[in-house]
Amino acid sequence: MALLSRKGTLFLLFLFSIFLLSASASNGSGEEEEEFWEELLLKPLPDRKVLSHFHFQNEAPLSDSFARHHHLFPKSIAQLVKKFHIKAMELSFTQGRWNYERWGGFDPISSHNAKPPGVELWAVFDVPPHQVDASWKDLTHALSGLFCASINFLESSTTYSAPKWTFQSALGSLRYGTLPREAVCTENLTPWLKLLPCRDKAGLSALMDRPSIYKSFYHSQRLHLTQAKTGADPKNSRVVLEQTLTVVLQPNILTGGTNYVSEAKMQPSWSLSSIFGRKINGRCVLAKSSNVYLQVERGLVTQLENLQSSTATFAANGTNLDDFGRNVGFELSVNPDRVLKEVEKSSSILYEYPIKVHKDSEQFDLGITWKHPVIWSTPHVPLYASRFLMGSGNERGAIAICMKSTESTQELVAANYVDQRCNFQVNVLQIVPWYIKVYYHTLQLFVDEKPQILTDFVERMHVSPSEDKVSPGLMELVLKLPCEVKSAVLNIEFDKGFLHIDEYPPDANQGFDIPSAIISFPDFNAGLQFSDNSLSKTPMLSKLQERSPVISYTEVLLVPLTTPDFSMPYNVITITCTVFALYFGSLLNALRRRVGEEERRLNDKGGKKDALLNRVLGKLSSKFRGRSSVSSQPSSSSSSSLISPKLILRVLLVAGIAVAWQYYS
Amino acid sequence: MEEISNFPLNPEPAEEETPQSQMQESTPDRKSMRTTKPGIKRLILSLTVLFSFIIGFPFLWKSIEIYRAPLPFDRIESFSSQLESDPLHFPCRFQAIFVGFDFSASRGLGPNDVAAAITHKMSQLNPNSLRCGNCGGGDYDVSVVIDSGSSCAQTEGSEARCPLKCGEVVFGGKLSDEDFDEMLKRCLGNVDGGGKGYSVVVFNGDKEEGEVRAVVGKYRHAWVLGHVSEDEAVSRTAEIFARVFMNGGNEGNSIRSEFMPVGADGRIVLSFSLLNAEPQDWIYDWSFHEIDKTLLQPVIQALQPIANITVESQVLYYTPKSSFSYWDDIHGSHIFSTKDLPFFLNSNEWHLDTSVAAGGRSKVLQLVVYIPSAKECPLQLELPNGDLSKTNGFISPMWGGVVVWNPESCVKDLESKDPDRRVISPQNLQKLFEVLMGQLRQLLGLKSDNLYVGQSGAYILLGSERGFTEWELDVLSGKHVCFNLHSCATTLGSLSRLVQSLPRMIIIDEIGKQVKFSLEAAKFAQSYASTGIYNASAVSSRQARSLVENAFFHPSIMSISYYSFEHCFAIYSPFFLPVTMHVILAALREWKRYKQENRKYLAWKAKERIVS
Repeated sequence: MALLSRKGTLFLLFLFSIFLLSASASNGSGEEEEEFWEELLLKPLPDRKVLSHFHFQNEAPLSDSFARHHHLFPKSIAQLVKKFHIKAMELSFTQGRWNYERWGGFDPISSHNAKPPGVELWAVFDVPPHQVDASWKDLTHALSGLFCASINFLESSTTYSAPKWTFQSALGSLRYGTLPREAVCTENLTPWLKLLPCRDKAGLSALMDRPSIYKSFYHSQRLHLTQAKTGADPKNSRVVLEQTLTVVLQPNILTGGTNYVSEAKMQPSWSLSSIFGRKINGRCVLAKSSNVYLQVERGLVTQLENLQSSTATFAANGTNLDDFGRNVGFELSVNPDRVLKEVEKSSSILYEYPIKVHKDSEQFDLGITWKHPVIWSTPHVPLYASRFLMGSGNERGAIAICMKSTESTQELVAANYVDQRCNFQVNVLQIVPWYIKVYYHTLQLFVDEKPQILTDFVERMHVSPSEDKVSPGLMELVLKLPCEVKSAVLNIEFDKGFLHIDEYPPDANQGFDIPSAIISFPDFNAGLQFSDNSLSKTPMLSKLQERSPVISYTEVLLVPLTTPDFSMPYNVITITCTVFALYFGSLLNALRRRVGEEERRLNDKGGKKDALLNRVLGKLSSKFRGRSSVSSQPSSSSSSSLISPKLILRVLLVAGIAVAWQYYS
Repeated sequence: MEEISNFPLNPEPAEEETPQSQMQESTPDRKSMRTTKPGIKRLILSLTVLFSFIIGFPFLWKSIEIYRAPLPFDRIESFSSQLESDPLHFPCRFQAIFVGFDFSASRGLGPNDVAAAITHKMSQLNPNSLRCGNCGGGDYDVSVVIDSGSSCAQTEGSEARCPLKCGEVVFGGKLSDEDFDEMLKRCLGNVDGGGKGYSVVVFNGDKEEGEVRAVVGKYRHAWVLGHVSEDEAVSRTAEIFARVFMNGGNEGNSIRSEFMPVGADGRIVLSFSLLNAEPQDWIYDWSFHEIDKTLLQPVIQALQPIANITVESQVLYYTPKSSFSYWDDIHGSHIFSTKDLPFFLNSNEWHLDTSVAAGGRSKVLQLVVYIPSAKECPLQLELPNGDLSKTNGFISPMWGGVVVWNPESCVKDLESKDPDRRVISPQNLQKLFEVLMGQLRQLLGLKSDNLYVGQSGAYILLGSERGFTEWELDVLSGKHVCFNLHSCATTLGSLSRLVQSLPRMIIIDEIGKQVKFSLEAAKFAQSYASTGIYNASAVSSRQARSLVENAFFHPSIMSISYYSFEHCFAIYSPFFLPVTMHVILAALREWKRYKQENRKYLAWKAKERIVS
């Protein structure tokens, strides 16, 4: 390090008058500011768990100085957007699987934040079609450096594809890829937090205690980039960076005072400090707003209302759930500033708690204490989808996607046309790696367990078959199913391919992952409708109210493929070489053999020896045979030539070696 | 049956006896001689096989060989040794103009003698003139004009007009330094003639004029005003030439002047960061956009020949420093000393990311403004001599610089609910950027103050509104070319060492091409430099460096073939070992046998001849 020492007067480098004038002029020009919000949504789940959903939003105007000068918006992301011309992008790191049955699938949180395990990335580029792939490759490398993850494996054209209908229509400039086996841990969270202006030093993100987050049942960290247009002028558009962290936690049971009902049935009472081990010390001072919400679901609200009406005392008072902390079901430790209620009849309720600036004396610790055991269920996906493999062996198999109706489809039937024919749309996106060779002609559809003609139900279909070692297979189906459907099963057969020896990943015997299929229901709207729209909307509230289709992901499948013995090529090479060597050697020997001369020499030498041996052997054999053979004296010589003494000697030698081997080894 | 089948066998011994008896007759013949010529069929066969093996071996060797593009190792060697033995020099022309002196009268010296004196003095002052990027390499082109008022003399071949035209104006009125500079540029401009000529004008004033004023202008000239003796005039002129114009006013040869923080692709990214140590106390923001437009753009323009500069800025929060400070009553502020500087940068909390946009091998220079928290609010840097640093900042060569900026009032507004959001006022920002620009100058290896104190007096260095004067840019570009060529030579050297040390490394054609082009570009840079074309030389040297870096960091260069020689041996030995043994043995045996048989035949022939 060197000191910048100055002895003389300051070195006047610049002319300043121009600068002063222009600075004062431009201050009033009203350039749009960069803004930041932070929010946290808490929701008790029916299976005694708690969903906590962090939502951070960062916005920057797409002006000339975008990607060069920033105040709040992360520079690295802005530069990515600028460099790769990203129109929209979503990157998610997930651990665990979202339980659609218990945690719900018909609400904005689950359809936006329930993600397949591992890494999922899609991006829309604002470049000519022939450059999209190149941009995607560069982007994966940049992201993999930024987030300390192996996203660069998505670079290979066998791992990504371009679906048409499942995501926002992007007309060919969208690329989608997943890495189901990517492990997610703190090294991915830290760079993600670095993008927030307060990181985890202050505000809601300070709650993120790593051990509590990572021991959760479900953990999904997401980064979503979009460009929002505020006016007709494209220069006015803003880049919106949405960062969410969704965690499903099991709260430690707080030992409350009320013990009159069996603890097993009671929902566990919890507070922020009990689930995260920390309290909120104050907002992030850079955030425009900093709110905590507690959501009470439709099902729970209905149950509580029932409970209330059955309890006479409360019924007399005529209280409802809006009088927070007074209902029979639970009690909140802090009174909310605002209560938001959905417009529909059976509706969910949101309690809002704005977080104040840091004060050492008061810390925010929201807690909920249950007073009565309540059992409720969450709103389900229209069709509960699961996917499994059929068949056995290493040769062929079949993938089945099974969709079962839930109560929400039945509600649909009940609510809508009773006698009219009612249909709803289901989009299915299935991507398979090239080594799973899918026969698309074998696609079968069973509706209510009866085989059906595909064209009756499939409205549109987009298939791009896989190309060996080049691209994965992609199948998109737009199904029109009748409302009263009980179950629908899609079934498709495949052959398992062979990979080249260097294409196997490490630990190939574990099997290969088929990424999750995406089932979306564009006819269903997951958004919530709150009554007071007039009030200022925070980004999360507007996200909750956004009209968005219901999306669910199926399981990741693990397909075992035949794995070779990896030392095989060397064995093959060596054995072939040996065989060739043997052949070649004997051929050469045969070519230069002088048969006549050898015989002659053999006779030369062996004439005497053989005679001697013959005599000895002849005597020996004659002794063995005894008298019986004496009569036929001439035959003895013939038999000795037939069972040649050489042969016997050899047999004896081999036997001796074998005995010695057996004995010594 | 037995009898029947056995019967024909019986005559065999009888038959055998006949050849035996025949053999016995001719045995002495058979063992030592033969009557027929020995056949060469089998010999030819086995020799053919052997030769085909020998011929086939190079083909096999070729087929398992790894492709390595030929690299010009000897040229690389000669290039780096040449760069070492004969450093790069730019031709410079120096012109000294003495007005009001009369060397011939007082000393009896002509202009040529004065020029020789200046040259001698210059080589004394600049012992390391052989350093790369310097002027002339110890052989200076000095021309002298002596205008004594009554007569005018000049060295042969000098371009200056004699007498100097604007002399009267100088003596006439009192001009400010800037105006004087402009005026000199005007009247020396035509003298200059386009090339890189430096001139010093010495005006001999009256005795009563007081102190001597020596100023180095924004362009390529300097002047000395006042009463100076002839000797002093010569030594001052030589000092300005040798120390200021050639070395940029830098004393000694510190290490950092060797390095130029310019990326291999000729780009510098200036990444400005404003660090709010504790946003709970106050949040400062800046209108960087304006600064960028008004202050930084001229600097970027000025440095264009040396590097392509881009500017980025960000504001970061919750970024405490990682060293400690203590309260000092004498200074009335918190103090961190120079000892703490290595620990000042907090790499855990300061995520001054490298720029994604820069990409490639651009150099990122971090320029950081640190705003302390209220707890340690006036935060001052104490120099080793106990004084407080005026700039309150420091640089780290090749990394960047840090400036600590203290808010005007260190009192935190405890009453307000909202965080205290403030914007650094334009005046303060301007001061801050002066310091940052000074740091940038230091990072590039220039002086940050405006005074040069030499052996024969002090010189005022006139600043340019662009941040860099013309002669400073000359020094920088010389250094830049040198640095590029040196780094090109070292990278080439490492590449050739690497390639030679790893015989199983694949070298694709592209690398070979890049190395070739890089050497060519380096040659061009050298030849441009010797003819004095600064810009072209800078461009070529940059190209040479970036090409060789491309070659060195080529993705394929890491693809060392894991197919090692042992491996190759292990795979082919099961085939070749037995087969070669067979083939060689067969050939040897056949050859031996042929020789033996041939001897027998010759022996028989000789016998025959004797017999006949």
